[in-house]
Amino acid sequence: MRAMKTITLVRQLVRVTAVAAVALLGNAAQAAAPGITGTTFNLDASAAYITQPDGATLYSWGYGCTVATTSGLLPAGIAGANCPTMQLPGPTLIVHEGDVVTVNLTNNLPAQAGRTSILFPGFAVTATGGVTGLPGQLTNEAAASGGTVSYQFTATKPGTHSYYSGSQADLQVEMGLYGAIIVLPTSVPTGCTALGAIPAHYIDTAAGNTQEVDFRLAASAYDHGASCYDREYLFQFSEMDPLIHRAAEEIATCVVAAGVTCPTNMDTVATEPYHPGYYMINGRSMPDDMDPNYSVQYPHQPYNGNPHMHPGELTLLRIVGQGRWQHPFHEHGNHVRLLARDGNLLLAPDLAPGPTTPLAGPLLFTTTTTPGQTLDGIFQWTGKGLNWDVFGHRRNGATDVDAVCSPDVNGYNSVVAAPNYYEWCGDHGKALENKPFGAVGGGGPATLPDPNIVANGPWYSGSPYLGGEATGRAVGATPIPPSGTVANDPVGEAGFAYMWHSHNEREITTNNIFPGGMLMMMLVDPRAYQIDESK
Amino acid sequence: MLSTRFFGGGIAAAILTLFALPAAAQSFRVQCPTSTPTHPTTVNADGSGIKCQQISGGDGFATMGDGTQTYLFGFGPLSGLSDMASGLPGTQVPSVFNQDNTSLGFDPIFIGAPVNQLDGTIVSDVFNGAIGLAPDPTLPATVADKIDGHVDPRLIMDVGVMNANEPAPLMAIDEDDEFFLTLTNVGQVMRPDLFEQHTVHFHGYPNASAFYDGVPDASIAINIGGSFTYYYLAPDAGTYFWHCHISPPEHLQMGMVGQIYVRPRQNRVAGDLGAALIAANKHAAVNPAATGLSCSDILCTGQTPAPVSAQGTGSSGVAGGGMYAYNDGDGSTRYDVEYPIQIHGFDPSFHFVGMTFNPESFTDMKDKYFLLNGRSYPDTVSPGAMTTQSSDGTLHASQPLPTIINIPANGRALLRISDLDVTEYQTLASLGVRMHVIGYNARLLRDLAGNDMTYFTNSITLAGGESLDVLLDATGLAAGQKFYLYTPNLDHLSNDAENFGGLMTEVNICSTVDPTTKACGI
Repeated sequence: MRAMKTITLVRQLVRVTAVAAVALLGNAAQAAAPGITGTTFNLDASAAYITQPDGATLYSWGYGCTVATTSGLLPAGIAGANCPTMQLPGPTLIVHEGDVVTVNLTNNLPAQAGRTSILFPGFAVTATGGVTGLPGQLTNEAAASGGTVSYQFTATKPGTHSYYSGSQADLQVEMGLYGAIIVLPTSVPTGCTALGAIPAHYIDTAAGNTQEVDFRLAASAYDHGASCYDREYLFQFSEMDPLIHRAAEEIATCVVAAGVTCPTNMDTVATEPYHPGYYMINGRSMPDDMDPNYSVQYPHQPYNGNPHMHPGELTLLRIVGQGRWQHPFHEHGNHVRLLARDGNLLLAPDLAPGPTTPLAGPLLFTTTTTPGQTLDGIFQWTGKGLNWDVFGHRRNGATDVDAVCSPDVNGYNSVVAAPNYYEWCGDHGKALENKPFGAVGGGGPATLPDPNIVANGPWYSGSPYLGGEATGRAVGATPIPPSGTVANDPVGEAGFAYMWHSHNEREITTNNIFPGGMLMMMLVDPRAYQIDESK
Repeated sequence: MLSTRFFGGGIAAAILTLFALPAAAQSFRVQCPTSTPTHPTTVNADGSGIKCQQISGGDGFATMGDGTQTYLFGFGPLSGLSDMASGLPGTQVPSVFNQDNTSLGFDPIFIGAPVNQLDGTIVSDVFNGAIGLAPDPTLPATVADKIDGHVDPRLIMDVGVMNANEPAPLMAIDEDDEFFLTLTNVGQVMRPDLFEQHTVHFHGYPNASAFYDGVPDASIAINIGGSFTYYYLAPDAGTYFWHCHISPPEHLQMGMVGQIYVRPRQNRVAGDLGAALIAANKHAAVNPAATGLSCSDILCTGQTPAPVSAQGTGSSGVAGGGMYAYNDGDGSTRYDVEYPIQIHGFDPSFHFVGMTFNPESFTDMKDKYFLLNGRSYPDTVSPGAMTTQSSDGTLHASQPLPTIINIPANGRALLRISDLDVTEYQTLASLGVRMHVIGYNARLLRDLAGNDMTYFTNSITLAGGESLDVLLDATGLAAGQKFYLYTPNLDHLSNDAENFGGLMTEVNICSTVDPTTKACGI
């Protein structure tokens, strides 16, 4: 009786899985750190409406390309890449160490917004043109209604930097006038995979993953051998109070009529008390942040947040605090080795700094973002020390030809062609489960619960093991239950999913709705799964 | 209940294999094996072993500093009840955990245990084993030991319902231990409209597995009436914490937050600490050519850079034998007594709404109670477990942990500070005794060249999701002196409407301090 019911259920679930797999195609988005490149950037500040997953549209201000363009963008090959006239955050400016960078800013904000400007903290900026003369002014400003100003600086320091408005900043930054600068180092430190040479461990040819492309901007984050990386992601944290945006919108859209006088400036927009409702990563709230870069549905919010990586890959996190609050960004899965703050490498103090000086940045499982501050860090996931084989190699009876782990000097499987590249060999073949489970052998410490007494998440692949092959071996082609496995299907991706989010937990909401806000899923994918950063 | 006996024939057995239903599936169940491939005999020669704990997920009430009863979503102890009531971790070894409840005649196990319902006192030494364990009636008569994880659900419900603790049960393990944590979801009787699942997220665990990470979106979550046993080999030493990851803004605000700390391998070293650390680093690096002086990977997985003092000679000249926060290699993190300090905040409006079936507001969340180990001052310095009467009239040991910091004169206290506040950053300052910050996010503050990156300060600031280790050194201080830990966020020195209390506690200098009971000898 029970068995009959199970068979019927499984048949239904097979159909569900097939539908889900089809729905998946083209949906998975896992994108690099996109932006615009060059040495001269013509930016404007202008107004547009952004959207939030609760259906709200928010009147906002942002930087953009004075002339919208689809050229001059990096990395190459990202679908739909463009630079609109207004985006939030502003275009990521990708330059090279030593470049003399010119930013020409045009003020296309509504006249009531008054002057605007850009600050480039950490760089010695020469400002030309524009208007000056206000007390407390931080730099030359572009006059209201089409005024221009020019900023020039030498990109002396590699790493991740921020830029943002220095004019009436309590309002203008809140409205969205901020962005990031990535300065790429000039050298390729020893040990890095040169740019353009695809890191060999991206690809598992035998399993069908043959097409991965190098989407890195550089071989390393700094002129330092410990800053080599295999993938990179940029996360900008900011928040918005919808009441401020509504108040600014009312002034900007005010029409003079009989008996109606319109304010001539934004001074009456109250920026305190501050009561944000939207908490965003790269200008989007969850789940929008996990849609592709340059999604057509977010014409003014082009950047996403949806990190993917294979085991062992060194992943560079470029973390920027925007807005006005701090946010404790908690990375599930492992610690982050902090490389630098505001583009300043953290090195051991008692030695002459050089490309091999030992690092001194802390290991953090929560990287607090601070307004205007940037952090660069390296994340890596290997599974070392779990005390069980995450690939489920232990066979129930039959011999597994793939079940080989050839340790390198550090104990990881260094055979690049192997599907279990960078497996920690110390745990190879160690069973997790006490009883044999499918084709995975038993003898381990743990007994898993009856699948019927637990609830399954949409990113749960259906087994404790990494990858579709291991999942299939453990629980068959139709894991119980595959319900909702649309985001991480057991047959294809079946990665380990982790939540990366603000740990001031009320910030993982969108205007009182949970889930939302500063939240995204990070996937450690099996090498059989092709991580396509073009989306 | 579903067992293999439902499947008589070979076809059914094949289906079982195919669909991977566990052979002994049932709802409530605990796991605490007495042997594993890693620990064949419970305790290995290196001193590590198997550790087990059971917790309930459910609801209950706590008492705030102004006397208000506050509704909780919370975890409660279902093992180590006596230890928990004494302010100790509820983590047990298998020989203590695996006790047949029926052999106790059911007498010590009662609703509201370990609080005596007649006089409100804590029954000392009530029981430290897993609540519910009973002989498995499905085992054949030929099996002598019938304690196999089977539980009597009545016992679980008697003890677990309305037994939420604030903070959640304390956990403590040693490096190289295997930890079996069973979460048993007893439901929330005050909220029959809810069918909340719960999970455990081991916050900060390096190289976490998605399966045991507790994120319901990425794994499985435990329904009411079910148990799930989490399995981890202890990670690198340090102060971690754990919490439910279901709807975190709600479940964390409502109280489902606790601490777990991992004591270092170095506590078991008798000889030179520097030499032992270098040897352990070499072992973790695998590479026979490794010097063991620094790390073999950028995240220092399983390793700690050797201190500068041991970089040249291979030894630090400091012998082991004490208690340490980290594998420091030079004894610099030695302490005499340790204190978990868990920072949290409660928004009474949110808790009221959470009890009364109304939709909750997240953007308006504003904490009004500021908690150290689930209590506000002056309750922080009230010895022993605090009890709260639940809506069913029973008394529960709702807040077992005082935060009385007793330090022996000329000795050192380790403060394991974790913050799971949901809304804002909180600062904790020390009046009189400076703070020596030695660890941050469960890692010793030391750079990859072995330089000391620890620092002295009089205040620390943490967000929700961060931890930090502080040494308070009482060198030169005299027994009888009293100092304070308090928050300079002055609006947090209040208990809702009372302009008094909040995030504050006392530091006493004693002649002696019992490292287990924390009792002050003057």
